[in-house]
Amino acid sequence: MQPTLSFEQAPPISVPYRFFLTAPLFGAVAGLILAWLGPAALESRWSPGALAMTHLIVVDFMLQAMCGSLLQFVAVVAGANIWRPRLVAAVVHPLITAGAIFLATAFLLERQVLFLLAALAFALALGLFLTVMAIALLRTPARGMSIYVLRLAVLGLLLTVVLGVTLAATLGLHDSLQSVWSLLALINVHVAWGLGGWALMLVIGVSFLVVPMFQLTPAYPVWLTRLVPAGLFLLLCLWSLQLLPGAGAAQAWQTGVMLAGMLLAGLYAVATLWLQSRRRRRQADVTFAFWRGAMLALLALSASWLVFEVLPQLGSHARAPLWLGVLALPGVFLSVIMGMLYKIMPFLNWLHLQRLGGIALPPPNMKQMIPERAMRAQMRLHFAALVLLLAAVLMPALALPAGLVFSASCLWLEWNLIGAARLYTRFRDRIRAAVAAAAQTPTQP
Amino acid sequence: MPEPRLIDGRDMEPPEPLELAVAELATLAPGEELVMLLHCEPLPLYAILDRGGYRYRSELRADGTNEIHIQKA
Repeated sequence: MQPTLSFEQAPPISVPYRFFLTAPLFGAVAGLILAWLGPAALESRWSPGALAMTHLIVVDFMLQAMCGSLLQFVAVVAGANIWRPRLVAAVVHPLITAGAIFLATAFLLERQVLFLLAALAFALALGLFLTVMAIALLRTPARGMSIYVLRLAVLGLLLTVVLGVTLAATLGLHDSLQSVWSLLALINVHVAWGLGGWALMLVIGVSFLVVPMFQLTPAYPVWLTRLVPAGLFLLLCLWSLQLLPGAGAAQAWQTGVMLAGMLLAGLYAVATLWLQSRRRRRQADVTFAFWRGAMLALLALSASWLVFEVLPQLGSHARAPLWLGVLALPGVFLSVIMGMLYKIMPFLNWLHLQRLGGIALPPPNMKQMIPERAMRAQMRLHFAALVLLLAAVLMPALALPAGLVFSASCLWLEWNLIGAARLYTRFRDRIRAAVAAAAQTPTQP
Repeated sequence: MPEPRLIDGRDMEPPEPLELAVAELATLAPGEELVMLLHCEPLPLYAILDRGGYRYRSELRADGTNEIHIQKA
């Protein structure tokens, strides 16, 4: 039998929703920065515009959405008690938002004090979030591969944050920490833990549960659920050895570690696409399509990396890392997040309204929470933005349309999510009014 | 004894079986039975049944199907 979900421990709906409703806005800002800066933002991964956009997407879009989802997911999948979820959300959400704004502005304006403010905000926000999450995940009696992979993902986030705060402090303190570690090695390890050890690990852990359950596919093979997360974690540990004194970045063995990591990611993508092709229901919803797009992007990312290794004249181009970055961020992670938001918000709306109204006052049908046509149209715009962003890496003159279309896709997502949140409040008020009227009825003459 | 109402949710996307069950519960007469077939243990449904005053029992079939029998308490 499949693993189960329990909603008795679910935090109040406002806890995940504040994260979900903030996330797309910063994707829109990232798109506008690209449109504003134009080709200059795409000169290399080190351009101020590229660094600002990247951190707006990974922190303010991805991290916001992932923190909100994790607060919900850990409670319902692990049955874990999250300590004071309202308080945690009220502290973590504004601090992450502020930290990402400080960081993006620090890159754009090259102001050292903003790097320090960002480091402080992230240290406080994620210090609290990680402590609460670690306690919940370590105390839960629940077992299973998803819980084990979620623990690895939370450890990955911890290492990403420690390295990221160190980097921001290094930049803020005028490079005085650079003598301890090579800056490039620090960045290499920070990026690997952030994208591989946190984001991809979380996607993998969640997929082991939600792909079979919601997409009606067979379960992932047991050997794969053991190999992929453990292998990924081991490779990230090996990759981190470049931080050891005298190791340094760009050594031959690192290519071998990266090759193994890309093959593992490619294997996971192929396995997910194969499971999706064997689904029991022919009709595919928008979440299914987003996941399929994400897995194709992951496969394209692994293949592109291999091509860059085989053809060094291509791989050493300043924009080659941008190509990989576009495939990873909007391609893999934003596609999964958008698809999951379209599944999670209607589901949460329905469950919370059902709890309020009971059998007598049923909530509206889940399919009515966000119109299917609106979700599909937004998804097409997102994938069009992805293609345009990839084209802009090849031809930076396309930066303006790519940035605008990406921004429009994020705003449309926001509009669709706001619609779901408004529908929730409308029905909640209706149920409360009906309950209040029913309570008054017997006392009237 | 009326024929039990049946919801075969094995090939439905969650929470469709849950939505259908809640709709059926609203019209379930005393003594009448609702039978659900699922591939999972529906904890959210159990919570709804507990709150709504229904009794239920589940049986695991050899093929892994969870068969849940629901009646008004």
